[in-house]
Amino acid sequence: MNAPTPTQTRQRSYFVDNVQFPFCKGCGHTQVLRRLDEALSALNTPAEQIALVTDIGCIGLADGLFRDIHTVHTTHGRSTAFATGIGLADRVLAGKDLRVVVLIGDGGAMIGLQHLVHAAMLNVPMTVLICNNFVYGMTGGQGSGLTPERFITATTPDGNITPPADLCAILTGSNAQFVARTTTSDTNFPDIMRRAFASPGFAAVEILELCTEYAVPKNELTGKMLASIAEQNGWALGVLRENASRAPFHVRYAEAVRTSATPKVREHGFSSAPHAHQLAGPVSIVLAGSAGERVQSSAAALCEAAIASGLYVTQKNDNPVTQGSGFSLSEVWISPEPIQYTGIERPDIVVAASEAGLRELTSRGTMASVSDDTVFVVDESLAVSMRTRKLLPLSLRKSLGPKDAALGGLLAACHEKNVLPDETLALIARYRMGDRAKVCEGMVFSV
Amino acid sequence: MVAEGAIRAGCRFFAGDPITPATGIFKAMIDALPARGGLALSAPDEISAIAECIGAAMRGYKAMTATSGPGWALMIESVQYALMTETPLVIALVQRLGPSTGGATQGAQGDLLLAEHATSGGYTIPMLAPSNARECADLTEIAFAWAERLRTPVVVLSDKEVGMTTERVDFTDGSSSPETYAVGTNGNNGTYYFNRPGDIPLFTAVGGATRVIATGSAHDKRGKLQKNSPETIDVLRHLEEKIRLRAHELEIVVEDIQPEARTLVISYGVTSRAASSAVRLARDSGLNVSHLSVKSLFPLPYAALDRALKGVESVIVPEENLTGQYRRIIAPYIGNRVLRGINKIGNMISPSEILRAIRVTP
Repeated sequence: MNAPTPTQTRQRSYFVDNVQFPFCKGCGHTQVLRRLDEALSALNTPAEQIALVTDIGCIGLADGLFRDIHTVHTTHGRSTAFATGIGLADRVLAGKDLRVVVLIGDGGAMIGLQHLVHAAMLNVPMTVLICNNFVYGMTGGQGSGLTPERFITATTPDGNITPPADLCAILTGSNAQFVARTTTSDTNFPDIMRRAFASPGFAAVEILELCTEYAVPKNELTGKMLASIAEQNGWALGVLRENASRAPFHVRYAEAVRTSATPKVREHGFSSAPHAHQLAGPVSIVLAGSAGERVQSSAAALCEAAIASGLYVTQKNDNPVTQGSGFSLSEVWISPEPIQYTGIERPDIVVAASEAGLRELTSRGTMASVSDDTVFVVDESLAVSMRTRKLLPLSLRKSLGPKDAALGGLLAACHEKNVLPDETLALIARYRMGDRAKVCEGMVFSV
Repeated sequence: MVAEGAIRAGCRFFAGDPITPATGIFKAMIDALPARGGLALSAPDEISAIAECIGAAMRGYKAMTATSGPGWALMIESVQYALMTETPLVIALVQRLGPSTGGATQGAQGDLLLAEHATSGGYTIPMLAPSNARECADLTEIAFAWAERLRTPVVVLSDKEVGMTTERVDFTDGSSSPETYAVGTNGNNGTYYFNRPGDIPLFTAVGGATRVIATGSAHDKRGKLQKNSPETIDVLRHLEEKIRLRAHELEIVVEDIQPEARTLVISYGVTSRAASSAVRLARDSGLNVSHLSVKSLFPLPYAALDRALKGVESVIVPEENLTGQYRRIIAPYIGNRVLRGINKIGNMISPSEILRAIRVTP
């Protein structure tokens, strides 16, 4: 290892000694890599503080040309996403400033467009060089989403009839901090690279270049024509966005975390054991009502009180995919022993607090599974004829209101079945209902 | 509780996106990580999520993502990349009913083979399967230890019934682990240097003092792209060999063995809960039956399997899938014993269904 330290004199090049470029004669990649090396050298960043993340394709051969810098050769199109992870971990978790460079072709850029957009939106510090030579070179010169109109490729033998995407416009539209488009023949190319590397956040440079093996022979292309190809396809050249004021992700994130409230610890009213329980064996409960009527949170309150009393519980909730409409249902086990199987084949308690709840109990077969010993509490408005000896119609909705009907029914059933002592049930009522707890207690304990 | 285990293990980077029934893990990390100096990122899709996690892990930080079957399908390319680049990573896969979008809020055990056989070449992906909330935390913590030790992606396979059931857990927030992977140095030997194929290269972080050359393409021990050199083939063998050689150290099972039993129930995940109940009911009625609840699904716990099979004539494997995915995996190892599955989808397999199978077993 001979990584330079900041005190050493300026490093002339990050390339290996006597670097041999593996690309075809005249290939634009060679020029791109030379400009990259010059830009990096000008910054004099220590080699171990540079990570070069390369995509699939000819440009992905760049890794082996560099000495001492970290290189990560990735999968097709995903390079920017891996680079995002590297960059964010470095800035946010390590608090360092690793210089992340991504090399990607036109094929990869369109495969992984989402990752470019995401990195631009987040404003992750990195420099992405999109080497657009209009074709998938390594696989034989097929067209990509960035192939110009009328261009002849292996997959557009009669000329491309699909206008190419304007990648820079997409990235500008994604709030990228720095976006530029240039060509390998552009005299401004080195200056654009310098400005891209000076950008503190996400910087993308699309470089139009020649694939001498596939693009040139079929399209009578020269380097000088790259600018006119840009013009014909509506691709603006030069620096297209340079938003110096936009803070990179890690800066915004640090501010947001610093100013956010301390995380809330959810509190319940039963932090210590309320009253000794007398429960001898497991009890299963199905509580059903309507969405928005505090069905699942009522079941949770009972479970929390049971846990505080030293019991084991499981709770499973169900509702339609719409979340805010239709039924809401909880299945609960309360047991003095650890609970294994959480399914309920024959419920000990069923509560139907609303019409929607009752419908769901019918459709899922709960009504059919009710036995002689099941305690079945229903709102008095619901027409239920059951074979259970313990059908209890109560004035839940009218006396307690729709928001407390489920809890009222649940507490009444638990009282009837001796699940928890009345003192504990009263505690739940007071914790959840406030003023209405008195009405509830009157109803529940008179059952 | 998967999130609890991850935080205990030192995980400070999470990237994911909402997908039932794994969303709870995502949300828990969003709530927990910022105050701990970490980052939970909302990714635009599952491919981005896992790639961002792999990037963070390459940088040296413990990272996790969580998903369900449809998201896992998208992640497979990058799971292979993590395996090939020997990047430690934990993926929590909370199964739902498939195929395709399937049933988002229904439990299932249908992703086991899709998860295990996710690599070209059929490499072993270590996999842990919790049965309850507590195990979600404990096995996730172990998953990070495995990922670090083996330098490979590890899957924590649960399902909706395990992941979305609220239950009492006695858990004190005690232990904690470093947030970064232990960094070694292979010196100038290279990023993937090993002496014998079963050895595990020391981890070096991108951005650290030792240069990293990482690649998902076939490579030599230095990370240099190679087509078919003997050293490259050695590296490919090594990726499996390092896990195979340690299989006996990675066995996590709950053995509930009756020496006189002729029947053995083998279960994992949520089905272990019903199996425990069924075994208890069977014994209450005077039957002898053994139960092996497997937590470390892969590598296969050969030694525990051998022990449990002693004297057994009949094996029952209950699974919430139609084709007996784990049953097919263990079939070659049970000799001439009778092997039967209890297979069902749409609802959990109940203790009475397992009990019935125990009773009619020859």
